[in-house]
Amino acid sequence: MTATGGECGNDADGSAGFRDVSNPAAHGTLARDQAFRRFVEPEIEVLLRVARTLTGSWADAEDVVQDTLVRAWKAVDRFDGRNRRAWLLTILRRAHLNSLRRQRPDLIVEATDLDQRRPAFGAVPPHSAEDDVVDRMLSSAVESALAGLDSRYRTVLLLVDVDQLSYAEAAEVLGVPLGTVMSRLSRARDTMRRRLRAAGRSDERRSG
Amino acid sequence: MITMMRGMLTCRWAARRIQRYLDADPAALLDPAEVARLRAHLAACARCGRRVEEYARLSRALAAWSRVHAPQPQVLARVHQAAERIMTEDPG
Repeated sequence: MTATGGECGNDADGSAGFRDVSNPAAHGTLARDQAFRRFVEPEIEVLLRVARTLTGSWADAEDVVQDTLVRAWKAVDRFDGRNRRAWLLTILRRAHLNSLRRQRPDLIVEATDLDQRRPAFGAVPPHSAEDDVVDRMLSSAVESALAGLDSRYRTVLLLVDVDQLSYAEAAEVLGVPLGTVMSRLSRARDTMRRRLRAAGRSDERRSG
Repeated sequence: MITMMRGMLTCRWAARRIQRYLDADPAALLDPAEVARLRAHLAACARCGRRVEEYARLSRALAAWSRVHAPQPQVLARVHQAAERIMTEDPG
């Protein structure tokens, strides 16, 4: 914000705008910078979580998100400002497909093969430090139940119930119809529900 | 017998809608009549009530799993730094 001849004002959408009347190139970068901070930066953690769900590792997730950020930077000045998360998830899906092609150039990857908030089921209650032990126990039961789930179902479950995407956002990132997300989610939850119930029973038998 | 059959049909009807009711996702909202019918059924049917409790338990378990598997602060910090670098270096 050091360009001379600049002036600050409010854009039509109410955001603080900056117009550099003497340097159009600097104006472009500043506008892009502002748009990037406004639309992209607040979504970084969500992008990272979703990428972790898609790739299965934090290291790969980091690479995919960095690629997503570069792509978003290049496109942000054309973004209309509506539904930034859906826009970013579409970019993330392309970045993920690209990373798969790089890792396995022999593989023809289709969006539909990837399947591996209003928060679902209501808001997650606040968490306190003493819940950590319970978390570890629950987490271990979930880990086992998730491990046995077909990857197509597991991915949808994690996107909606852990990453807190809406049905439409999950459909966007997977490149599948909304109905597919709903049916896979329903099946995944029912399987998990039954497995956790069975795990609870065997815990009771052991402790009894 | 007819009452029992009717009850089973209502349970099947309810089972197909419980998740959408709990999610209240804007893309798949139940209509008000369905919500009213489902609530009335859940208040009267122990079996479907247990199903709702199990979904709530699953939700808590997944939330716990999510906390244990949250992104490490250093990973998040690195990605934020990458975002800053992109803005500074302007890759095109």
